[in-house]
Formats: sequence, structure tokens, C-alpha cells
Amino acid sequence: MKPPRFAYHAPRTLPELLETLNETADEAVVLAGGQSLLPMLNLRLAAPSHVIDLGRVPGLDSIASTNGSVEVGAMVTHYRMETDAVVAASVPLARRAAGYVGYRAIRNRGTVGGSVAHADPAAEWPIVLLALDGEVGLASVRGWRSITAEDFFESVYTTAKRPDEIVTSLRFSTRCAHRWGFSEFQRRTGDFATVAVAVACAVEAGEICEARVAIAGVADRPVRCREAEAALVGGSATAAADAAEAASDSVDPISDIHGSSAFRKRLVHAETLRAARQAFSANEAGARDG
Amino acid sequence: MTTEGAPRFFGARVPRRQDDRLLRGDGRYVADINPAGVLAAKFVRSHEAHATVASLDIEAAAAAESVKAVFVGEDFAGTEMRCVSSYLGFQESAQPILAVDRVRHVGEALAMVVADNEYLAEDASELVVAHLDPLPTVVDIDTALDAGCAPLHPGWQHNAFVRRQIETYGFGDTCSAAPHRVSIELHNGRHSGIPMENRACVAEHDPGTGRFRLHTTTQIPHLVRAGLSWALGVPESLIQVIAPDVGGGFGVKAQLYPEEVACCLAARRLGRPVKWVEDRREHFVAAHHSREHRHTVTGYFDDDGTILALEADIAVDMGAYSVFPWTATMDGGMAMGILPGPYRIREYSVASTSVCTNKTPYGAYRGVARPAACFSIERLLDQIARHLGVDRVEIRNRNLLSEGDYPWRSPSGLVYDSGSLLESLDAVLELGDHEGLLKRQADARAAGRLVGVGLAVFTEQTAHTTQEFKQRGVPIVFGYETAKVRLDASGTAVVSASIHDHGQGLETTLAQVAADRLGLDLEQIRVEYGDTEQVAYGAGTFASRSAVLAGGAVTKAADAVADTLRLVAAHILEAAPEDMVVESGRVSVAGSPNQFLNTSELCRLIYQRPERLPEGVEPCLEASRTYDAHPGTGAYTNAAHLASVEIDPLTGKSRVLSYAVVEDCGPMINPTIVEGQIFGGVAQGIGTALFEEFLYDQAGQPLSTTFADYLVPVMSDIPDFRVAHLQTPSPHTIGGLKGMGEGGAIAPGAVIASAVEDALSHLGTVTVNRLPLTPERVLGYIDAANGSGASS
Ligand SMILES: Cc1cc2nc3c(=O)[nH]c(=O)nc-3n(C[C@H](O)[C@H](O)[C@H](O)COP(=O)(O)OP(=O)(O)OC[C@H]3O[C@@H](n4cnc5c(N)ncnc54)[C@H](O)[C@@H]3O)c2cc1C
Repeated sequence: MKPPRFAYHAPRTLPELLETLNETADEAVVLAGGQSLLPMLNLRLAAPSHVIDLGRVPGLDSIASTNGSVEVGAMVTHYRMETDAVVAASVPLARRAAGYVGYRAIRNRGTVGGSVAHADPAAEWPIVLLALDGEVGLASVRGWRSITAEDFFESVYTTAKRPDEIVTSLRFSTRCAHRWGFSEFQRRTGDFATVAVAVACAVEAGEICEARVAIAGVADRPVRCREAEAALVGGSATAAADAAEAASDSVDPISDIHGSSAFRKRLVHAETLRAARQAFSANEAGARDG
Repeated sequence: MTTEGAPRFFGARVPRRQDDRLLRGDGRYVADINPAGVLAAKFVRSHEAHATVASLDIEAAAAAESVKAVFVGEDFAGTEMRCVSSYLGFQESAQPILAVDRVRHVGEALAMVVADNEYLAEDASELVVAHLDPLPTVVDIDTALDAGCAPLHPGWQHNAFVRRQIETYGFGDTCSAAPHRVSIELHNGRHSGIPMENRACVAEHDPGTGRFRLHTTTQIPHLVRAGLSWALGVPESLIQVIAPDVGGGFGVKAQLYPEEVACCLAARRLGRPVKWVEDRREHFVAAHHSREHRHTVTGYFDDDGTILALEADIAVDMGAYSVFPWTATMDGGMAMGILPGPYRIREYSVASTSVCTNKTPYGAYRGVARPAACFSIERLLDQIARHLGVDRVEIRNRNLLSEGDYPWRSPSGLVYDSGSLLESLDAVLELGDHEGLLKRQADARAAGRLVGVGLAVFTEQTAHTTQEFKQRGVPIVFGYETAKVRLDASGTAVVSASIHDHGQGLETTLAQVAADRLGLDLEQIRVEYGDTEQVAYGAGTFASRSAVLAGGAVTKAADAVADTLRLVAAHILEAAPEDMVVESGRVSVAGSPNQFLNTSELCRLIYQRPERLPEGVEPCLEASRTYDAHPGTGAYTNAAHLASVEIDPLTGKSRVLSYAVVEDCGPMINPTIVEGQIFGGVAQGIGTALFEEFLYDQAGQPLSTTFADYLVPVMSDIPDFRVAHLQTPSPHTIGGLKGMGEGGAIAPGAVIASAVEDALSHLGTVTVNRLPLTPERVLGYIDAANGSGASS
């Protein structure tokens, strides 16, 4: 469990970074918090010739609230998402989800950009981004572009990001930010989710007019469940139970040592029910459970 | 000649003296040891569970940057590891240092790459190509024992290392007369001790003298030396084994491993030190496993729940090889012996099979077989209680041994020396607030929540020596420990012992014992261990023995040195030796405290002014003694555990809410250290109960090879915890001490299973019989209790 040999680069500016990446793209990875990359290197699951450190590039760690959205720099840590006042006020779902990422030491180093770039299908940020109708900002020497969360995540550890691009920011829409729920099943505090569910709703005249339900841990990428979303709109008395039923029916998860497919479907039911109930119990979703 | 005052340190909550060093990062582990010219080794391991080795391509690796050698099986073919039991019918296995023609588990070493550093060694190791032709794999007990299954070792008749059976004379008649019986089949997941520090060693060989020096992370330096001597064909005088700071052992490091032999052989071939530091992925497949027992137990009992007879069939999945020094009989034998547990059971019939499979070999883990035995007998007691509609506490009270029963000869032939079983059960109900738990359970149920209460009682053989081990058929009988005490001319002492401290706190407790016997302050005592040059022989630290045996040996050696102080002081002070008191840094005349010599002054005189010594007294303040806790049948501790558990009805996830332990390890040298051992043991037991399992697929591929897949309990899984002590001395040991290193880990599986079953009891009848209790398994129990049949 020692990494293979690589060249280490520590550029000081974004253009310098993008230039280095452009020259080495197919053989390079960028290093953010290292919480996923270093295990991959040590296990020799990745063997890049070049490692380009984002740590000394300024300007990638701001959090800004703009009209209708919150923009978060790629290098913002999970811990900052947990504690930042703008996040808490504008996208409380994101603040809540942050607390489920690993444990404190991981959250102190790991970054939101690293999480979405890594695209673990059990990770929290991808479903938060999906639930909040988010976008991923990407930069390369060719310029800047933005891509919706729906289009960004393609498969296990696979995204629409091209090898010469880096993630610069995540943008969360606040349209659905104020009725929300988040619930996750983890074997131990700090573990990756077996199943996690994020629910975000837009409210008009006291009625839920739009609902977004995103689920981690059931497919090769984070998935939305339209049937569950439809069940939540209007908010009937049985909406949470109906959404849970619909979510559980809609997924076809894999079986592995952490649980059979049937078990995961039950978890989807349980966690969707809990997340939906939180969304119905108004804006504060109460104490963390899970 | 003992006229000491009350002990100053025995029984005191002295802080652990090693913690300052260890917590500041000033510990010195094998990985910190870098002799000049040291090379790094990396092992290439089998990716097949069972295969013939067709060929190994090593040319590319041998030609890689800085590679000094690539060794394969033939290079070390003259050396192999056998650990043979003297039990009738035992089938021997030969474990190669590097596989020669066949591999028998994933992780078995095929080749050893030695290079300048571990990065380059790992790079080169990836260039070795192993051509392995797969053979049918045997990954479970039933397949292994099937008559049609080909034996895994040459010359074998079947896939059992050994089968053993005992039955008491009256068993058959008692069973036929018994009005009731219940049976239960129990499964314990394969798991292991998971020390924080992986295995590691540095081997050096001096061609001039022929001497080997091996730094290795082990609990048993002298036994490693013995095993190396056999394996290498080199006398023990030419082998020094040093275990420096060891980052946890739990039994995993109470073994000689092929990698240690390989590093010695490589160092001799290459004329340079060879170092190997295991990585975690290797640890999961190549450091030994433990705990995988399957028991079928039947209890025969009368109308009031008195158990009349016990029947058991035990099978343990020992993996591919019999390991040194335990042999593949250890767990099966232990379980046979202790299964009747703390109960007044007179008739017993048991069969035990040690099964060979294509899995990582099996060795010791804290509690050795007793967690499984406790799980079986305690689950059985709960079933008997349910069968008769008797309370779980009451059924135990009716069957537990009481004071008048001791010494108790168990139906398996163990002799329990003493105990406080009923008292400990009583006390734990109080300590753990049993009544309050039941009330909270009722409230929780009314609110639709699933809360259960579980309990278990056990007795544990500790500090057993010659008498016990000679019956176990092991090649080395672990009969005693050795300690040497030396006072120097400054009046400070060095205590050397054959045990090893890797968390047990012996560096502190042995100092407490020595300080009292020598009348010194703790700061004046240095305790050393782990180097075979320090004392002559001894087994090491395992089996809850070190405080008792090393404590006894230190007592004897310190007393011998103190006697010399008395002789000389009496001569100088013109008093009688038997009137001399060794206390508080002085040797004084009893009743005349003003007549004294400072111990430091006396020590200086003895070494530096030999003309002041009385006739016949040598200028030597050093003594080496052994202690065997005669008669060697063991000092029996006991404990009662009580816990409450809440289950999430939607996901099956269990959380331990509270945990209480009342334990009796006799007089305590240091209660804080005893409690630390209990906490740690229970934490590991929670791993046994809820989390830890090495899973394999049908091809024998291990599925739990990182900490993301093999789950150990973390801080948030550890409940509110209470512990209290009873102190029933052993009649056999110096100071009445009993061992207590393992006890905490024994009961949690039984307790938590009992609580989970209890949590579901209002829904329907289920029998919780499989550990660990993963959420999915618990959900299955919930479904079964609900009678929905929709078990996942
Ligand atoms: C014990 C443990 C528990 C964990 N538990 C969880 C959990 O519960 N939930 C969870 O979501 N995660 C968990 N993680 C992972 C953690 O959240 C990581 O922080 C995250 O997945 C990656 O972020 P990072 O900043 O560490 O990225 P790195 O590890 O540095 O990089 C990860 C990958 O993303 C790429 N990358 C990083 N940043 C960028 C960027 N700006 N642009 C383009 N590519 C980039 C890297 O090249 C690399 O391929 C856990 C990690 C550990 C070690």
C-alpha cells in the first residue's frame, strides 16, 4: 500500500494549473483534500504519472449567495459547509448533509469539488446537488462551462468532466431549498451511506408545488425518483408513505456484502419516509438521526 | 523472612507509566527500527484460494530498479512450518515459507521481493506473474467434511485436523430420563483481533558469529525464538528476538509467522538486514483469523429448569494450516472444556472437529473460543427460560454454581477454584439498573420502539499452566513465566520479565508489585521486557496470565533480593535478619525505626564495599525466578454483563444503549488498569456482536479486505458503560490474583444477542443464533417475529 512513483506539481495560479493539466491531462490527476485520492493511490487503484495539487491555487474556496442560488468553490471543505452561515441560511439541506460525510478529520480536509469529481455513487454531495437542481462549474485552458447535476454524473467514479478540466464550483439553486429532508443509513457514524435520500421541495401558497427526491447507494450514480416526487407534490396525508413506497419500487440496487438488493430496497423505503417526513415537518428537520 | 508493612502500591490507581511515552509519539515500534543497510521486503501473495503453482515469472521483477533478490518457494524449500498436536488422529499440515507447488488460501505468500525501499519493492512485486491452476475450493465446514471432498493436504484421510469426543458415564441415562430438552444451532462470524499496528519484523544476520537478531512485533518473543530455532535449525543461543513497543496484539501476534522466517532466511542469504512492514490489505488475508465456530447444543432439564445434561457438537473453521505454537486444536479444545460454563452441569457429551478449509489460517483472539462457548450456553439458558416461562435471571440463579460448590470439577474435567457467580449476577442487576431498564423497555414498546435487555454470566479459566497445557497436546507446554530483579548500586531496580506489555499495563503493574516488595518508590523501578536476552525463558503474554504469573515471578525474585538486603543490613546493624523491615527506601529494625540503613546506601555498600558483607553473602543483588501458579489448573474469574439495545424497526440497525459489567478477578493490583482492560474487551465484543466478519465468496475470495468492508466498532458505537468489582481471591496464586485481560471480550456477543431477542419478544418467537447481528440479519429476525415471512 505504497503509491507508485509520480511527479508532484504545486501551481500557484489557476492559469498555471490549467496549463499543467493540459500538458499532462491523460496521465494526471488533481489533488484536493486527498481523502479519496490518497487511498486510491496507496491501493494502487490509480497510478497517475502526475499529481497536480489544487491546494495553493487561490480563489477556489469562496461561498457566495447570489440571486436564486448559492455558489460554492470546489475547494470548500465539508466542514465549512457544516458551519458556514450563508449555507445554513440559504441551503440548510446542504449544511445537514455535510455532517454525514465521513467524520470530523475527513470533513476537515475533504472538499465538495473532490466529492463530485470523484463521483462515488454513495456520496452525499451528488444527491444534494441533484435535489437542489444544482450545476457543476468546470474550467480548462479552453474556457469555462457549466453542466447540470443531472448530466454530470455518468457512472461509478465517472462524470462528464473531461481530463483537462477541473471542477471550480458547485451551484445550488435555492428554489427548492426551504422544505427539505435528509436521511441516511450508515452502519457506523462516519461511514459512507448504504443508502441516503435527499428531499427538496418548492412551496407556493403553502403547498408543495415541486419536489425533488435524490437517492444515493442504489445505482451506479445518484438517481432522482420522479414517482416519489409526484407523490410529494400537493402533500396529501399519505404523501410521505406513498413517496417511500414509490422510491423503493423504483430502484433496483445491487447486492454486496453490505446488503442484499432486497435489504437496500427496504432502506430506500425507510430513509425516503424519514426524509419526506422531515420535509413535511416544516423547515427545521429536527435532530440528526441515522 | 517477611515482615513488610501494608503495601503502598498494590491496589492503587497508579496512572499507566507508559502512556506519556506512547501518547507523545516517543514509542519505538518495529517500523522505527532501521539498521544500517536495511532492505525492504514485499511479499507476492496468491490471488487464488486453492491452486497448483504452474510457474512464477520473476525475471522482470528481478531486473527492476534496486531489486536485490526475488525469492520463491524452492529457495526456502528446506524450511517449513509444522505445528503438530499429540492428540490421537491429528493430521499434520506443512506450511511452506513461500508456496512451492500449491497454494491453499488467498494471501499465501508465493514470492518475496527484496529491494532498497518498500516503494520499489512494491513496484517490482507487481511484475511477478503467478500462473496458478485453480483447484476446487473448500470454504465452509459442511463442504470440507463431506465424504466426497478431496483432502486439502497430502496423505490426509479427510479434512479434519482432529476430531475429539468426550462423554460422562451417566450422560445417556440422564438424557433419557430428562422431561425436557431444547436444541439450538449457533454461528459465530469469522473475525480477528485487528491490532492497530500491523505485523512487522526486521531480521539481521551476522555472518561472523552466525547470530540472528529479529525485531518483531510479537506477544511471545521467547516462543518465536523457539520456533525459529526449529525452523532454521539454529540453536537458541544464536537467535535474539526483540519485541519493542507493540501496537496491540489481541492474540494475532501470539504466533510465529512464515514471514518472520522468510526475513531471517533472506537476511542470511543477502548479508544485509531485511525489513518487512505488513500493510493492512495483507493483514486481512495473511495474519491469522479467529472465532468462526459453529455449535449445536442441546440442554436436558427438569420441570423447574435445573439442567441435567448438556450435549454439544462443535466445529471450528481453522483455515488452511495448523499454526505455531497453538496447533489447529486450540479453539475446538477450549470450547469443549468451557462450554458447560458457570453452571452446575454434571453430565456432558461433546464432539469437536477442527476443520481444514481454503481460508487464512486460524489462531488466537482475546478470549479464545470462550466468546463462542459463552454465546452457546447463554443462548441455551435463554431458550430454556423461554421454554418453561421462567425469567432469564431466575433460570440462571437456579443453575449457577454457588460458594459451596467450589472447588468444582466440571464435566469436562476442569477444576474451578473459586468464584462469585450469584453475587456478580445480583450486583450487575443493581449496577445496570435492571428494573429501570425493564421500565424503559415497557415505555418504549408502548411507543412502538424496539428495546431489549440482555444478560450473560460466565466463568473464565485464567493463568492456567503446566497441568492444563500438558493435556492440550501442544508442542510447548506454557507452564510458567520468568522474572529477574536486579538492584544496582544507586538503589534503583530493573525488573525484567518474559511477558510483554502491549496495552495490558504490565509496565506499570509489575513496577507496583516490585516497589512494594523492595520498599522502593515507583520511579526507582524500571520494567523491561520483550528481549530474549533479558531473561532465560517464558511463554509471553496471552491467555490472561501475565499479571498472575509474571506478578508472581517478580514477587519471588524481589523477595530473594530483599532477603540479601536483610542479611547485610542485619549484619551491619547488629540485629537479626528476621527482624529487618524493607520499606519506604529503608531497611530498618522492626520496633526500632531509628535503627536503619537507607536502601540506596545499603546497595552501594553491597556492590562497592564487599569487605562489609557478612561471611558467605555474595555481592549480588540479582535474582531470577519462575512462577507457575501451582497446581496449574487455573484461577477462575467470573463476571456478569447486562446491556440494553435499541433496534431501528425499519432498518434492523441495533444500538447498544447501556452496558454494565460486574467482574471478579480477585484482588486488583491496579483497578484503573483492570477497568481499561474491561472497556477495551467489551468494545471488541461489540465488534463481535454487531460488526466484524471476514466474508468469503464460494471461490474462496475474501470480501472484507479493507476497513470499508470489515467494520470495527467506533467510539459512537460504545455505550454508556459501568463497571464494578468483586474480589474473590484464588486459593492457588500469589496474592490471590486472577487473570483478567480477556474477560471483557467474552460476553458481549451473548448479551447483545439476548437483548435483540428480547427486543422482539412481544412481536413473536425468534431465536437469535448468528453473529454478527448485522442490520440485515436483524431485519430478518424482525420479519420472522412478525410472522410476515417477508424476510430479506
Ligand atoms: C474514512 C473516510 C470516510 C469517508 N466517508 C465519506 C462519506 O461518508 N461520504 C462521502 O461523500 N465521502 C466520504 N469520504 C470521501 C471524502 O468525502 C472525500 O473528501 C471526497 O470524496 C473527495 O474529496 P477530496 O477533496 O478529498 O478529493 P481528493 O481525494 O483529493 O480527490 C478525489 C478525486 O477527485 C478529483 N478531484 C478533486 N478535486 C477536483 C477538482 N476540483 N476538479 C477536478 N477533479 C478533482 C481527484 O483528481 C481525484 O480523482 C470518506 C473518506 C474517508 C477516507
